[in-house]
Amino acid sequence: MPKTILKAAAGLIVLALLMAIPKYVESPYALHMMILLFLSVSMGQSWNILGGFAGQYSVGHAAYFGVGAYTTMMLMQAKQIPPWIGVWVGMVLVVAVALAIGSICFRLRGPYFVLASIAVAEILRLSAINLTTLTNGAEGILVTELPAFKIGERVVTDFSTKVPFYYIGLFLALLTIGITYSVQHSKLGYFFQAIREDQDAAHSLGISISLYKNIALGISAVLTSLAGAFYGIYVGFVDPPTVLGLDVSVQIMLICIIGGMGTLWGPVLGALVLVPMSEALRSNMVTDLLVRVGLVNADSKVGLFLKENLAHAHVLLYGILVVLVILFMPDGLMGFVKKLARRRKQEAV
Amino acid sequence: MAVFMQSLISGILIGGVYALIGIGLTLIFGVMRVINFAHGDILMVGMYLTYLAFTVLGIDPFVSVLITFPLMFLFGGFLQRVFINRVLKAVAQNQILLTIGLGLIMSNTVMLIFTSDYKLITTSYSSSTLKVGGGVSVSTPLLISFLITTAITAVLYWFLLKTDTGQAIRATAQDRDAAQLMGINVKRMSIIAFGLGSALAGTAGALISPTYYIFPQVGAVFTLKAFVITVLGGMGSVVGAMLGGILIGVTESLSAVYISSGWKDVVVFVLFLLVLLFKPSGLMGKSRT
Amino acid sequence: MRKHLLALGAILALSPCVMAQKIGVINSMSGPEAPIGENITNGIKLAEEDLKKKGFSLQLVWEDDTGKPQISMSAMEKLATRDNVVGVVGPYTSACSNAVARLAEKYRVPLLIPAAAKEEITRQGFKNVFRMNAPADKYASSLIDAATSLGKPKSIAFIYENTDFGTSTSNTAKDYVAKKGMQVVADVAYPKGSADYRSTLAQIKSKNPDLVFMVSYVADAILLMRQSREVGLQPQAFLGAGAGFTTAEFANERAVSENVISCTQWTEDVNWPGAKEFGKRYKARFGKEPSYHAACAYASMVIMAETARASGGDRAKTRDGLKAGKWNGVMGEVQFADYDGFNNQNNHQMLVEQIISGNYETILPSRFATKKAIYPFPRWK
Repeated sequence: MPKTILKAAAGLIVLALLMAIPKYVESPYALHMMILLFLSVSMGQSWNILGGFAGQYSVGHAAYFGVGAYTTMMLMQAKQIPPWIGVWVGMVLVVAVALAIGSICFRLRGPYFVLASIAVAEILRLSAINLTTLTNGAEGILVTELPAFKIGERVVTDFSTKVPFYYIGLFLALLTIGITYSVQHSKLGYFFQAIREDQDAAHSLGISISLYKNIALGISAVLTSLAGAFYGIYVGFVDPPTVLGLDVSVQIMLICIIGGMGTLWGPVLGALVLVPMSEALRSNMVTDLLVRVGLVNADSKVGLFLKENLAHAHVLLYGILVVLVILFMPDGLMGFVKKLARRRKQEAV
Repeated sequence: MAVFMQSLISGILIGGVYALIGIGLTLIFGVMRVINFAHGDILMVGMYLTYLAFTVLGIDPFVSVLITFPLMFLFGGFLQRVFINRVLKAVAQNQILLTIGLGLIMSNTVMLIFTSDYKLITTSYSSSTLKVGGGVSVSTPLLISFLITTAITAVLYWFLLKTDTGQAIRATAQDRDAAQLMGINVKRMSIIAFGLGSALAGTAGALISPTYYIFPQVGAVFTLKAFVITVLGGMGSVVGAMLGGILIGVTESLSAVYISSGWKDVVVFVLFLLVLLFKPSGLMGKSRT
Repeated sequence: MRKHLLALGAILALSPCVMAQKIGVINSMSGPEAPIGENITNGIKLAEEDLKKKGFSLQLVWEDDTGKPQISMSAMEKLATRDNVVGVVGPYTSACSNAVARLAEKYRVPLLIPAAAKEEITRQGFKNVFRMNAPADKYASSLIDAATSLGKPKSIAFIYENTDFGTSTSNTAKDYVAKKGMQVVADVAYPKGSADYRSTLAQIKSKNPDLVFMVSYVADAILLMRQSREVGLQPQAFLGAGAGFTTAEFANERAVSENVISCTQWTEDVNWPGAKEFGKRYKARFGKEPSYHAACAYASMVIMAETARASGGDRAKTRDGLKAGKWNGVMGEVQFADYDGFNNQNNHQMLVEQIISGNYETILPSRFATKKAIYPFPRWK
């Protein structure tokens, strides 16, 4: 009992800290990184429900991300519908898309499912390029002004700073974590896991496979579309490769798999590692750090070499990390942490 | 009519090269049940080998196949031995991510070495044609690469059907555990299969080099195509992949003319989904449970 | 990791303010746009070396946006609020520039965009956003004006890559030819990286257009011309808009590139002060021909650094300096003006060129012309 109380207290403290950050941190750059972090958490967590719990490894989640982002942006640009209304339209649409995709892809298993999910996402990406009257094609949609959010006459926020985005992002991340938690601790989660472990056995237990697969997909797709819509309004620009590309799908599943699938905190851990790491690699902070600490002289040959190449090599290092994690921590970081904890316990005994 | 014939012919010829890429992937999938997301990147490595052979040693791209094939075989064997082998029993998504990671490493290493410039191999015959009549022309380098593809496929088919190693590979593809019980060295077969698959992808890279261009991210275009071809033909079927390749080549070419260039890839993916839905074993595959 | 970064941020913030002018660079150094991005990197490096020789204490903060808008935004946030740069040069692509322009306006950081084509970027009334190169509409109008001044074309076929640059350039071109009363007989947007354009080209050939208007990067440009020759496409002129048709690699493909008309922002042969010398030094330093991106980037960095120094590192003064200034250098006369709905846009003179005997020769405007144009396109051998 005291353990759960302890856990709850720790959770509340972390939450309070997160709520308080914008009050004390003024740097928009820091807030921006936090927003990206929240976005990654919610993307990874959304995939977790379908991939981690129900065991359906979609490599086409860009489809839902893109539909969410595009619908919100299109409505905002063409009809001046504010995003907090547009996002609902996006959710309805994405459920329709998910059901259509489900009806095709869920007939297939294993590698065939993976390939079908890629194909559907690619079809959507190509459609977004070609349906120029609807989506503005390859030029993408740019929305520079967000309407102020009002309740009655009172302006809650006019989105001129990053603070409202910070709270929306935080809310989104908490929402996805909350939904994952409740799925995990409900009958639904039990059915999902039964399907993941052995589809045929689950079927013989009387679990309606296609119903529960579609439910998992539906939840996952709606949450992903929310993340997509948030991305769209935050960045203010969407185009086919950035929200519908295969990269996006891979990025989404990477967060979850690196962190640890089928666990509540895996995607959070994954985002905590991946977001700062790719930013640090990209922006040459590693070299900066080495120079500042005094390990490397900025004007020496090594320093210049690192400066020239490290920024170029960040995708390479990313690839190496992926390979290493898959080979040596097949259950993700979460699995690795758990293993370490178990070992320590054993040693203690 | 001339437009139709022109599209059909160039579709078939391009399809020949697609087929080679598909055959490589189908071998790997057949034997290991691993979806190789790095297949296009392996092809890209083959292209750069061809480029090196051409610029440094002055070897004609078509002749350089003789070098590219064995080198890529070794490279593929190495990849299987060191990386893929460790995840054969792992869950599917880990295999996928591993090959994605390997692909990223390959393309970005190549980028560091060669920069991301587009490289072209310009030979004396790069834009030469044979006039067929009726206003239709056939690209000479494409025709040569088609002929080489056909020859390689024939040899491969004979190898799989008639030699001991070939039969062992097929047995492994059919039932890994049973093959092992029969005393087949399954591990070795896997290395050979991955080596062969890579060699074929590398060869395809060499063959399209004179008519296409080379850059570090070129693989992505071909990885997706290879999947479509493989599924279309039936995963694990060599003849199927050959047909699938040509079918995709022709579909692309014709739909570029009669539908639109922008939608041609959509047509290919829709075709792909239809096959998955109605004949998931593929055109030539035996139905599997 | 996060704590580490924050700590690092604190160290950077506390480090004593040196007198060096800090200027940010955002560019696509990796990812799919990297081949072009490299030209910009090189141009800026050359500018940095030249400025340092002149005694500038310049500190460049490099940011790679990998060609993705959200990452270029991260970069801009960092440059504006953490590195506290005076101004920013970049990014390369239109998509990234568009996203970054908004932030530049918000943080009041002067942004000088060297080579992004999309017109809208400088049409949003932003005060802090400047652009060196001529936007997409100029490509279309200069090429088509060139063709109509050389002959009497009545029909035109479009073939262009279905990217932002390709579609926006072709769209303005289509509007422009409609005004000129020309008939569009084919309109093909192709996905970048297709191996086979023969069927499409055969179809265009069957429509027998007077002009073929293409927008492609270098690899596709060569492929399109090779395959045009294969299928025997024979218009009065091939018009190549965009980067691909003005590169040395393209000109080197003599069998297919001869007599193709293209337009560019910059060429080595033009008599703008320092252009020839820039070309020579660029080749000596990087071992390849400079593209117009390199020249645009070079000029942008020089102008930004000079203005920043003259304003003592103050952002608002730098912005006013850019707005008021006038320069004459490798890019010819540069002035950031308001016209035709544009703000802070350099009304750059485009050059129309033709490849004659394997060399780019300027054919229009006539005051820069080095050779007389060859028109119509000679029959394929």
